[in-house]
Amino acid sequence: MNNPAVTLENIKTRAPSMRGFLALLVVLLAAIPLLFVFFSSGKLSLEQWINLWSNRLPELLANTLSLAVLVAIGSMLLGVSAAWWITRRDFPYRRLATWLMVLPLTIPTYVFAHIYTIMLEQDGWLGQLWLYLFPGTTIPEIYNIFGVTLVLVLAGFSYVFLLVRDALSRSQQDIEEAARIHGATPFQVFWRVNLPMLRPAIAAGIALVVLHVLSDFGAVSMLRYQTFTLSIYLQMSSRFDYQAAAGLSLVLVTLSLTFMVLERFFRNRQRYYGSGQSKKITAQKATLFETVAIWFWLGLISTFAFLLPLAWMLSWSWQAWQQDLIDAEFWGYVSNSITVSALAATLTVIAALPVALYHARERSVVSQGFLYLSNVGFVLPGPVIALGILSFVIATMPAIYGGMTVLALAMMVRFLPLSIQAQESAVQQLTPSIEQAARSLGANWYENLRRVILPILKGGMATAWVLVFIDTLKELPATLILRPTGFDTLPVRIWIEASEEMLELAAPASLMLVVGTLPVLWFLMRDKSSK
Amino acid sequence: MKSGVSLLVLASLLISQYVQAASLVVYSGRKDKFIKPVVAEFTKETGVKVLLHSGSSTSLLNKLKLEGSNSTADLFISNDAGNLEKGKAMKLFSPVSDKIAKSIPQKLRAADNSWIGLSARARVLVKNKNDKSVEFVNSVFDLADPRLKGKLAITHSGNESYIAGVTVYMESVGKEKTSKWLAGMKANVDGKVFNKHSKIVKAVADGKRGIGLVNHYYIYRHLKKHPDAPIEIVLPDQGKNDMGVAWNVAGVAITKESKNKKDAERFIAFLTSEKGQSLFAKVNSEYPAREGVAAAHEVPAAGSYKVAPVAMPVLGQQRNATLDLIETVGMP
Repeated sequence: MNNPAVTLENIKTRAPSMRGFLALLVVLLAAIPLLFVFFSSGKLSLEQWINLWSNRLPELLANTLSLAVLVAIGSMLLGVSAAWWITRRDFPYRRLATWLMVLPLTIPTYVFAHIYTIMLEQDGWLGQLWLYLFPGTTIPEIYNIFGVTLVLVLAGFSYVFLLVRDALSRSQQDIEEAARIHGATPFQVFWRVNLPMLRPAIAAGIALVVLHVLSDFGAVSMLRYQTFTLSIYLQMSSRFDYQAAAGLSLVLVTLSLTFMVLERFFRNRQRYYGSGQSKKITAQKATLFETVAIWFWLGLISTFAFLLPLAWMLSWSWQAWQQDLIDAEFWGYVSNSITVSALAATLTVIAALPVALYHARERSVVSQGFLYLSNVGFVLPGPVIALGILSFVIATMPAIYGGMTVLALAMMVRFLPLSIQAQESAVQQLTPSIEQAARSLGANWYENLRRVILPILKGGMATAWVLVFIDTLKELPATLILRPTGFDTLPVRIWIEASEEMLELAAPASLMLVVGTLPVLWFLMRDKSSK
Repeated sequence: MKSGVSLLVLASLLISQYVQAASLVVYSGRKDKFIKPVVAEFTKETGVKVLLHSGSSTSLLNKLKLEGSNSTADLFISNDAGNLEKGKAMKLFSPVSDKIAKSIPQKLRAADNSWIGLSARARVLVKNKNDKSVEFVNSVFDLADPRLKGKLAITHSGNESYIAGVTVYMESVGKEKTSKWLAGMKANVDGKVFNKHSKIVKAVADGKRGIGLVNHYYIYRHLKKHPDAPIEIVLPDQGKNDMGVAWNVAGVAITKESKNKKDAERFIAFLTSEKGQSLFAKVNSEYPAREGVAAAHEVPAAGSYKVAPVAMPVLGQQRNATLDLIETVGMP
């Protein structure tokens, strides 16, 4: 078939424009909550701004930033040390150890907060243990910055672990060997060779953790630690003051954006390349002492980050089971959760595709701008996203309000950045030449999509689907606001039961979240180790 | 994949349709375990199905306001008069007919019957019987006494009952005295406040604190589980010139946008009937709003002590002023 219209220039200009249009559409949708924030905070008078600025901001800034720093440090200590031992030493049950470091991802922050609050009470497991070990003292309080830090580190350090582990297993031995030959001690090698090379991975992991801290709602509201997100929520819900809430959101957005730009800037300047032939690192056989030390440390981490909470859930779920509290209604919550998560994951993966493709092909200021704008979900807290979407839908298409579509839409906005990031590396493999080859062989856009683009992107899309599924499954604040009438998901039930102190009801719902996330996590880990 | 998506979208639309098919939609800020038996009894009696949408009173009122004419809610139940009056001020409710409303005393409902009180709770003190150092306390204002440093248990200042209590005191004794009182309590608790009333009672029972400010039913709830707990109720401010105990009500309203006002009124008629009242209030040891229906036997009888003469609607009208006061003092 000789089609003169198909020239290289033609493909270059025509294909992106279609993508560009779709990408624009997605980005506009994602930007709705941000527009809402601009619009509402624009209504604040100068006097109100000054008021906010002098009364609320100093405390909120100090609280939020100090929490972010503490959580970043804590997650780095746990994540980097665990990743280092697991990639560099060969010890018994190494795979199990890897799993134990990732499993905390199945427990949402509000469940951690709830469980630790209960366990640290006078008659709680840890409370009793404490009083047994240190009789006459008082049990440490969890309602302060250290309590919140503990909860957020336990819930988030796995991100740092995963990213650093990835980087470590890709790092190459020859540089280290060169350093050793030149007389560097093992510590010097770690400090001057490994650490700088790990910096991008650590930075990415910490960025992820910090953004989670900035937008966390569950833990800070259960532990009543005033961060921006909690204060915004309270401003909205107890004062009906959407403008002040929007004003605070604007400050939070600025904060997160600054942080993200800085992070990207530093990451871009630090790329290390090794030659293709160099030897991959192999793990050294661990000595007996090392094995004991490693397992002690990893065991300590996973006791607090997973095993103890799991045991608590199991024990209270057993009570609920015996009281016949796990009934048809409970399974209804499970099915609601799965339905909305699957819907949101599918929607988000599809929406992320044009944005990622457009940027991969275009690499222009516009496509970069799109990418930044699509990050709204990362920088705006859940309640604000829900409020923005709600206001928009009611103003423009009230007919779909109240259905699950709106909820899925909000989830899409929240988790679009996650989905784009997960697909980015796959998209980069899709070089223009592959597509041009297909086109020159006569494939139309549909065939190109079905037979070239999608097969290459399949892995990335699957990972993205899985990540969004997990996060939607655990999502609380936006679901609380946007769920259809009477539509209770597992997080919503945990929230309600926890506030009513019905432990035996909050436990099985939390356990179902863990169980529901497991196969998905398994898929993700398999995907990672096969790479 | 595309067909899969459209199937899912279709399914979600179907579900939302199904949800809307229920006869009465109730936004409930009351605990599930307290409202569910009442609803079940109502459905049994009338055959009218009820869909409960639970959450915190404040955020549900928020939702109602944002939804405007798109709301599917027929009724709003709140644990706090402040939210009910706020909803009235935002014109979200439609008045209940006089015939049904008059079974509840005038002071426990909105002036125009926009909302109807269902049960009342008293803001009281819980005292550890063995702690001699707190014996002198018989007014809420004594809680600011420096002698109580480290001995006082209060909730965080976002709690609806706490805010409503402060409103009553502010109305009774003025802003200045209330502000000083808050500052004194702030010094006494030294940043350590509780996030639940039940934990206050527990802390007092365990001797970790000497005295606490709570809603009366939390004391009885604790005593039901631990009959030997060394705690007692103190009805504060009962002297001749004292203001009396602060009351607050839980209540119900019909939404302005309700498409099923007839059944909504039937629901309220049931809630205000003698049977409904005793079901609604007694599960939680509260005072039934309807006169002539007795509270649970362990609770001090309603007419036996002095109640601060602040009308319930004021709790909504003065809510923001109260929040300002609390924030100025910087209560944790």
